[in-house]
Amino acid sequence: MLFSVLIYASEDFIDALSPEEHSAILKKHGAFHEHTKTHGSFAAATKLMSTGTSVTLSRDSDDFVITDGPFAETKEQFMGFYLIDCATLEDAIEAVKLLPLDHGRIEIRPVDFFEGADFKNAERLVINAS
Amino acid sequence: MPSAWLSTHLRAARPRVLAALNRVFGDIDLAEDAFQEASLRALKSWQPERMPDDPAAWLIVAGRNAAIDALRRKNRETLSPPEDMEPAFDGTHPEDSLSETLDRSVYRDDILRLLFTCCHPVLRRDQQIALSLKVVAGLSVEEIARAFLVQPKTMEQRITRAKKRLQAANLAFQDPDRAARAERFSAVANAIYLIFNEGYSASQGPDLIRETLCEEAIRLARLLVRLFPEEPELRGLLALCLIQHSRRRARLTGSGKAITLEDQNRNLWDRKLIAEGNILLEAALRSARPGPMQIEAAIAATHTQAASFEDTDWAEINRLYRALEHIRPSPVVALNRAVVLARLDGPEAALARLDLLGEPLERYGSYHAVRAWLLEELGRHGAAKVAYQAALKLAGTDVERDHIRLKLSELEGSPDSD
Repeated sequence: MLFSVLIYASEDFIDALSPEEHSAILKKHGAFHEHTKTHGSFAAATKLMSTGTSVTLSRDSDDFVITDGPFAETKEQFMGFYLIDCATLEDAIEAVKLLPLDHGRIEIRPVDFFEGADFKNAERLVINAS
Repeated sequence: MPSAWLSTHLRAARPRVLAALNRVFGDIDLAEDAFQEASLRALKSWQPERMPDDPAAWLIVAGRNAAIDALRRKNRETLSPPEDMEPAFDGTHPEDSLSETLDRSVYRDDILRLLFTCCHPVLRRDQQIALSLKVVAGLSVEEIARAFLVQPKTMEQRITRAKKRLQAANLAFQDPDRAARAERFSAVANAIYLIFNEGYSASQGPDLIRETLCEEAIRLARLLVRLFPEEPELRGLLALCLIQHSRRRARLTGSGKAITLEDQNRNLWDRKLIAEGNILLEAALRSARPGPMQIEAAIAATHTQAASFEDTDWAEINRLYRALEHIRPSPVVALNRAVVLARLDGPEAALARLDLLGEPLERYGSYHAVRAWLLEELGRHGAAKVAYQAALKLAGTDVERDHIRLKLSELEGSPDSD
């Protein structure tokens, strides 16, 4: 089963992190990468840019409405997600325990349909914003 | 929880909490004291497993209670009737109950009011910067003093005077209309850019502190964009800061000498920041409400799109400067445009343009440096030396002075075609 791992955190808090704290968080993500890659469950990692860059589309009868900013104004923002291929929810939970959970929350939601690069066989593909 | 996380929570919550307390008490000093007291209470009662759901809301309530207690105590000491000392606040405000989430529109107004107070036009620029860094970003007086190479005592006085001036101005902040609101955004955006620029261009003082100024400016800009995504100038401001900041590793040599755009190693530019800056700018421009920040960001973005200095799209940059001259004319913008025209039309044309700017920019070091460069290009080395010497006298930093001295030494002994 493919699981999405959805990461929420407060951008106010993320912006206030010291470099040391930031690397402590990255270290936990590193552990998650290592674990899921060793177990062959890693599928994808996506880190989103700040919500300040987002626009939201909706439709008002015949017109597209594009509003600036994220869909919901919340205390915590959607920061990014992983896709992991695990046999059970239990396995997914075990992997997610490696991620930074002291601040913010992480939702695990099974994936109904996924199409993308052949993450099982393809060479490692990294796309950075530019 | 390591106490470091706790101080990060306090740092993250500070703008929002200060803004709310400032509204409740209508006094920055009182709000700062209340925040301080609330922080102490948080240090005592917050535990890793028992963090409040919304730390900012917790701090607002704690801060307000602390300030009311303090006022009551003061009241007992002075024996005046309790009602007189009760701070005026509207009990219906949403943070009255911890379980209620903060109303976002109230928060937005609070933050704008706090920032606009700190950046108010009655204050001098250096006061605006100092007050914003102290009150909103929460930098210590010592840190700010170090950034500006003054004694902490001097900085303390600067901040105290700024607060006094605000009190004396007796500012009224009731419901700004559309135009007044736009003015506030503009004042706040300018002040934040001043903070950024102070860190970016001041070439003296410890590197770390200068980087702190840039990063605090970016943090404030991010906060504003998050709260007011519909304001294109704020997105323009953030885009501008991010794109300028992307060059931080390429701007100085190992020994701290300035490297001009022309000679920078573009591989050292931070592509992540450039990407975010460019997309913010694109999002801002969609609203078709251009402003100086967006245009400046577009100029910076155009530079990032050139693989090398030779590939720079000077025609586009010239168009952007022309637009900037149109909406915010200033001799400095005209000077920058002359530099661009030198690339497009050659040094002779640019020099002719510069001659028209001599009077307003007589005391501006960059004017003389640009003039010297153009004269040098034209082979008029004698006149170039005179201009470099004028620039040297007006240069504000060691890095600039070193750069000009290098130019002068290069001219030494070169034949003059004048």
